[in-house]
Amino acid sequence: MEAQKSATMTPRTNVASGRRSLGFEKTNLRYTPGQLTALRIPTSRRKPNTRNDIDPEQLAYIANIEWKLSYVTPLYKFRHTQLVLYSKQLSAFIVAEKQKGIAVEVGPEMGFKVVFSVVLGMTETDEDAETVFIKICSKPAFAVEGSAVKVVWSGWFTCVNGNLDYMRSLPSDFVSLPLFCTNGPESITALVKSWFTRMFDCYFGPLSLNSSILQWLGALWTECHPASNIRYLKLAWNLPTLPPLDISYTVHPQDAWNLWSSIRQNDSMEDGISIEEVRRFMKGLESHFFRHFRMHLSAGMLTRICTSLGSAHCDGTIKITGTQYITPVLMLLTECAQLKMPI
Amino acid sequence: MDAAAEALLRQTVRRIPSSKLNGVLGRWGCLSEAQLGSLESMQPKWLLCDNLISLCRENDLSMKHVAEVEMLYCIENPKRGMWYAYQMVETDDEAQSLELMHFRERFKAHLKDLIGHVSIKLKRHQDESVWIRIAWGDNFNRPNHLKPTYVMHHLQTPYVFVSGLTNKHKPLLFQALVLAAGYSSIKNAHLNGRCITALRDLLMRQYKQVFPSSCPKPLKESNPLPNPNIENEHAKLVEHKQRAAAEAFGYEDPPKLERATYKLETKYREHGNESLNGRDEPFRGVVKFTSSNLLESLKYCITSGMASTPLTPLLSSITQKGRNYFVIRDKGPSIASDTLGPDH
Amino acid sequence: MEEARAFLKEGVLRHLSMLEEESVLLATRQKEALQQQTRVEELRSKLEKLRAQRDQLRAKVKTTVSLQQLTSVVDQENVEPQEESREESLQLFQLKARLTQVKDLLRAHHLIGGYDVVETRRGKGVCFSLATAFEGRYLETYNLEVDLARTIRICRHNVPPFIPLEKLAQQNLQEDIKAFLVTLSQHLNAFAGRQEQVRLVKELLQGSVLVMETNSLYSIVVLMCTVPGQKETEVLLTLEYGDPTQYLPTRVTFESEDKTLLESPQWKESQSLLQQTPVHTALLAWKKERRIC
Repeated sequence: MEAQKSATMTPRTNVASGRRSLGFEKTNLRYTPGQLTALRIPTSRRKPNTRNDIDPEQLAYIANIEWKLSYVTPLYKFRHTQLVLYSKQLSAFIVAEKQKGIAVEVGPEMGFKVVFSVVLGMTETDEDAETVFIKICSKPAFAVEGSAVKVVWSGWFTCVNGNLDYMRSLPSDFVSLPLFCTNGPESITALVKSWFTRMFDCYFGPLSLNSSILQWLGALWTECHPASNIRYLKLAWNLPTLPPLDISYTVHPQDAWNLWSSIRQNDSMEDGISIEEVRRFMKGLESHFFRHFRMHLSAGMLTRICTSLGSAHCDGTIKITGTQYITPVLMLLTECAQLKMPI
Repeated sequence: MDAAAEALLRQTVRRIPSSKLNGVLGRWGCLSEAQLGSLESMQPKWLLCDNLISLCRENDLSMKHVAEVEMLYCIENPKRGMWYAYQMVETDDEAQSLELMHFRERFKAHLKDLIGHVSIKLKRHQDESVWIRIAWGDNFNRPNHLKPTYVMHHLQTPYVFVSGLTNKHKPLLFQALVLAAGYSSIKNAHLNGRCITALRDLLMRQYKQVFPSSCPKPLKESNPLPNPNIENEHAKLVEHKQRAAAEAFGYEDPPKLERATYKLETKYREHGNESLNGRDEPFRGVVKFTSSNLLESLKYCITSGMASTPLTPLLSSITQKGRNYFVIRDKGPSIASDTLGPDH
Repeated sequence: MEEARAFLKEGVLRHLSMLEEESVLLATRQKEALQQQTRVEELRSKLEKLRAQRDQLRAKVKTTVSLQQLTSVVDQENVEPQEESREESLQLFQLKARLTQVKDLLRAHHLIGGYDVVETRRGKGVCFSLATAFEGRYLETYNLEVDLARTIRICRHNVPPFIPLEKLAQQNLQEDIKAFLVTLSQHLNAFAGRQEQVRLVKELLQGSVLVMETNSLYSIVVLMCTVPGQKETEVLLTLEYGDPTQYLPTRVTFESEDKTLLESPQWKESQSLLQQTPVHTALLAWKKERRIC
């Protein structure tokens, strides 16, 4: 494991060569005020395909857990080779903060351990930095040999199919890992964030998922149905009535797929999904709803998308169950996080 | 006072807020004035509970008495999980003049015929409702008083409201009820919720309904629009929408339901999707509406324009049929899309 | 170089980017404010235009309406159009007159205590309202909304659940809706009457007669009164209303520990009296006669 870690080199983001991303075929160019780069909102995305080259043991850490999403600006002088050192430093930082009297929910009178590791293979292009996983475990003061340690907090930085133009525009010594997912007490999340902010001169912000992203996820997962039963497609809206009204619509997986494939048939794009198709799919579901209830869902907000492959909530939480389709989901989230980058 | 009675008493005292506890114990009538006085303002609650148990031992009270205090509190505060409504059908004329005494005797006799170990309490509340508390046991176990079933029924009506009933005991209870009340069978009314008074008001039509009238009384302006100019221009429209909302879901405080569920088994029929429109199979799905006060939220949908008028019969069926679970199918092969309606 | 590195470490870059962000934000805000202002002005002028248009339309409608009224008056006065259309208009007038007549009848019927009818959902349904009354006093009004689309179907009502509405509807809702309404009205009036009698007993005979038991339909009422004497005797009156369309009982029974008292002809007589007079009137009379306390 140790050898593996040191072998992982942090990619230099100004490397000129690199595979062309297949994910972005047609794009709307939108120039940001900074004019440094152009951020692209894609109008089509690649169809999900299965992956099995990621270590299943490491994937197990990520699957079936509800993650809170944040975006983070590029890390200055972050080295994938220094993870052991970072573990020690973050650990020392938490101890110091604890002594200052900040309540940290690691458990009373308990020791804890910080472990940084790399999840190999969770990348799409050569320029994506490898995913960094952080685990904080508690160990009782009088630990019995072999007693199970409890993970009290975990989090990971990732970049899957990051925007090449953006990454190439960064000065050297910056590593772009824009998506930060956390699970555990908020107080620890805040500590970890503050340590990263100091160490790598970066900035964290909350990442919420707008309805367009949720719709993409819904379509992506539905597309997987023939290969891996999604069991249900559930959409949830919130209408701003007094008191607020929640509406959920759970569609039979086969019928959802039939609707999706009927929309797909008309289009000839083979390995891509266009935004137009996603829009028509959602409109198809909404108008079937409207025909029955004459209620305008557009007056409210899409809050949640769930299938047995995963669920996503508009407040920025996500759970991935079907790990074989993890990459397209992370690509989408990386893209969201990158759109938040100050330029 | 055995261990089971003690456990029930502890559970009951834990549930009752301190402010109400003395009132409930007073109405219970099993403690003397002096004993009640000694318990007054005793804090914390566990201390009060310990003292209460020793007083009960002193008075030689048993499970029978403890069950009574639990029932007393439940009737006055029936907020214990979900209530389900059932409707008895095919009455004989006898049901119209059934008396409480008669009903009580028959119900107890029928249920005890069906199951040996069972403890039944029956009480009439101030509002004429009859409350039944059943603690179930079996051949090997004494009745479990910690998880009783509660039943609420108004004599001379076909409706029964039940909470805390397991599938195992359902047929026993239903048989005893039907026989005692003079009906031939009972069916699910497809109405449930946490607020039993709302379920009762919906089924027994006791909430404030608004009907079309030749001289309509103006409805109270509930939420005036902020801009007076807009209000003037739209006053008629707003009035119309408020009337439609009130006619559909009731005036002022509508019965407090938490949810409505629709199982959709209708065909997909949208323009521009010929491949799906031609299918014979339905487009299956489940739609759930949830709110802390569903009918109030739906009223808001109408008045704010989030729902179009005329209102779909699917939503107005909640009040018209007194149900919150529906299975929706297409009525016939040749009927146009807007005539789909909830089935029975 | 080293210095610059140190600066970088302390977050100058972040600071710079924040500054840049702020300046951009400021610029866009200014632009937005400007845009908003022009938009508001545009909307204002549009509003003026629309108002003027509305006033014009209103004036137009007014003149058209008054013109129509004038012409209709003229039409009625000089009746010399062609033969054919005259016959047609005569028929129309007759129909209109008939409609007014029926509406007046309905109104009169409602005024004397009958039901009222209102058209709903553009003629697809009607709403009946049935008022109840007892001894000249209006009580609860019950409503019944009926769907006329295909078959006659009750879709909404506020009739109490213990009134056998479904049974009555099965009997003659389809064939004879008038008869249906009459029987329903009888049931409702009788129920309201029985309920009102109990209310009056409670109100007028407070402290002397006790209402022991009633049921929701008020088809059984048990009262308790005390007969004065050397030893006060309590008598239990049970009134059974066997006919749900009547406000008078079909069976009256007395119970008392003093059997001889009930054997007296006076009490035997009162049994039939109670079957003919409302219970509160009878009891009030007894109280006046000091037959009961």
